[in-house]
Amino acid sequence: MSRREGSLGKGLKGRMPSARGEQGQKGWKLGSGSPPPLSRGRERPERGRTGQRCQDPQADSSASPLPHLEAKIQQTHSLARLLTKYAEQLLQEYVQHQGDPFGLPGFSPPRLPVADLSDPAPGHAGLPVPERLRLDAAALAALPPLLDVVRRLQGELNPLALRLLGRLEDAARQVRALGAAVEAVLAALGAESRGPRPEPAAAAVAAATASAGVFPAKVLGFRVCGLYLEWVSRTEADLGQLAPGGPA
Amino acid sequence: MSLGGPRMVEGPGQLHPSPDRCSSLTPDTAVISPQDPTLLIGSSLQATCSVHGDTPGATAEGLYWTLNGRRLPPELSRMLNASTMALALANLNGSRQQSGDNLVCHARDGSILAGSCLYVGLPPEKPFNISCWSRNMKDLTCRWTPGTHGETFLHTNYSLKYKLRWYGQDNTCEEYHTVGPHSCHIPKDLALFTPYEIWVEATNRLGSARSDVLTLDILDVVTTDPPPDVHVSRVGGLEDQLSVRWVSPPALKDFLFQAKYQIRYRVEDSVDWKVVDDVSNQTSCRLAGLKPGTVYFVQVRCNPFGIYGSKKAGIWSEWSHPTAASTPRSERPGPGGGACEPRGGEPSSGPVRRELKQFLGWLKKHAYCSNLSFRLYDQWRAWMQKSHKTRNQVLPDKL
Repeated sequence: MSRREGSLGKGLKGRMPSARGEQGQKGWKLGSGSPPPLSRGRERPERGRTGQRCQDPQADSSASPLPHLEAKIQQTHSLARLLTKYAEQLLQEYVQHQGDPFGLPGFSPPRLPVADLSDPAPGHAGLPVPERLRLDAAALAALPPLLDVVRRLQGELNPLALRLLGRLEDAARQVRALGAAVEAVLAALGAESRGPRPEPAAAAVAAATASAGVFPAKVLGFRVCGLYLEWVSRTEADLGQLAPGGPA
Repeated sequence: MSLGGPRMVEGPGQLHPSPDRCSSLTPDTAVISPQDPTLLIGSSLQATCSVHGDTPGATAEGLYWTLNGRRLPPELSRMLNASTMALALANLNGSRQQSGDNLVCHARDGSILAGSCLYVGLPPEKPFNISCWSRNMKDLTCRWTPGTHGETFLHTNYSLKYKLRWYGQDNTCEEYHTVGPHSCHIPKDLALFTPYEIWVEATNRLGSARSDVLTLDILDVVTTDPPPDVHVSRVGGLEDQLSVRWVSPPALKDFLFQAKYQIRYRVEDSVDWKVVDDVSNQTSCRLAGLKPGTVYFVQVRCNPFGIYGSKKAGIWSEWSHPTAASTPRSERPGPGGGACEPRGGEPSSGPVRRELKQFLGWLKKHAYCSNLSFRLYDQWRAWMQKSHKTRNQVLPDKL
């Protein structure tokens, strides 16, 4: 796993394929030496050094990059699906500790942007998939510092809510991993983000919220947990367009 | 829980659907005063919600309040002026959650204008009943009771402090909740042969309280591990006895000159333990008066009494893991064809027998590991009867 992906915390087993392959003119191929010879006729090929199954040297080499890209997309899609579930649980846990009206059906404080991170635009689903994934990756990159801010605030408001604090900590790590995986998919598609991404203004958010009072701090956390859920579920849906069996 | 959608605000006995999904108001639309107040249970609160005058159409007309999602009765509110709505709450209850009760000011359409969190509770009471123990003289764990009423409705922080009695600075314990919610563990750097002063400080938003100081010497509160390698075995063919052997707890084995041990045992299908006290400084014992052909569970524990010359009783260790063994089956039929012990293990009635039972019980307690039992007494009686018949027998030719 590349260092950018970081630790995934609980819930994810197995390894994600490395994203260090070379990028050809189209697609993507393994860059780690020649595969070992097949052992016997009908047996499955032995694993290569990367942990991937080695290609049958007699197979058509022009088709080789696609299975790896598909596997990468499928794994990232699975990760997004898992994190969507975790994000739902995090939001449930969060509202329990803030008290009503946070847990009441239909509770909806003003949905203001948080440090330039807002909800997916209404037209998001109509964009080309690579563009959607670029927006997803940008949002996923903006979330970890905001989740850290919420964790610090909740550490003061609910110091005994260890499970909530643990979930917030895990969420920051996990969304970082998902963002890196989406970036890897974009790179494999030749559609990576262009230009440097602005630094998130999490510190400014934290300072402003701390001085505004407890209720705004609760609302901020509610908003961030909501944005986290919206963007990971959006990412899951967008990757689903690319996954085998999806519309794309 | 759904994000967005029509807001539902709970009022007295009914829900009020509100059409707006997203408010166009900024966070600076209104402000509640006071912000995040801390109050005693039973006290009153006067609050205001002031709408900022530069917002178009901003007015206090139609504003209403909710507390923890419940709409407050209109009679508790009144307009102070065109832009300010006041609220009067009396006899407040303790906060529902430690993060504070949510007092929210709403516009006529139900949208949230501002919020403030109320912290209603009690100051902490004096913690008491501090007890501490040291495991093998290496650490110190302390436990305390938070206060006579416990619930303060506010997050209350407990801090265990300690210092050497005659010198040194205050230290604060750092490892909390090790053996329950009100406990702390000091893992190292403890001095022996000199007393410590230990106390607990409780602090919350409404105040603080300090326990009485407990003074102790680590050597007076030592406990240790249960004795390892407990073996229980039969004593030859004796039907009512088992031999118990164990090893001194290794961590303190070089210091346990005056250690005391206790044994407890029970029949396999019983929950009643019998305790053998004061097994002085031995590492073996013979249990007597047991039922033949019966499985027994046996446990042993250790008290490191007198360690390094301490005059105080130590603290009993945990019991060792249960060890099981069975007494041999009786080969001699008893009065009912069962075990040698009288039925139910109880002697038949009679003052002599009652007194003998008491004597044997005392003997077992004070002259430990006695081999006497009712079985031997019955054998003696049988022998006496036989002897008496023989002595009183008159041969016809002797008269």
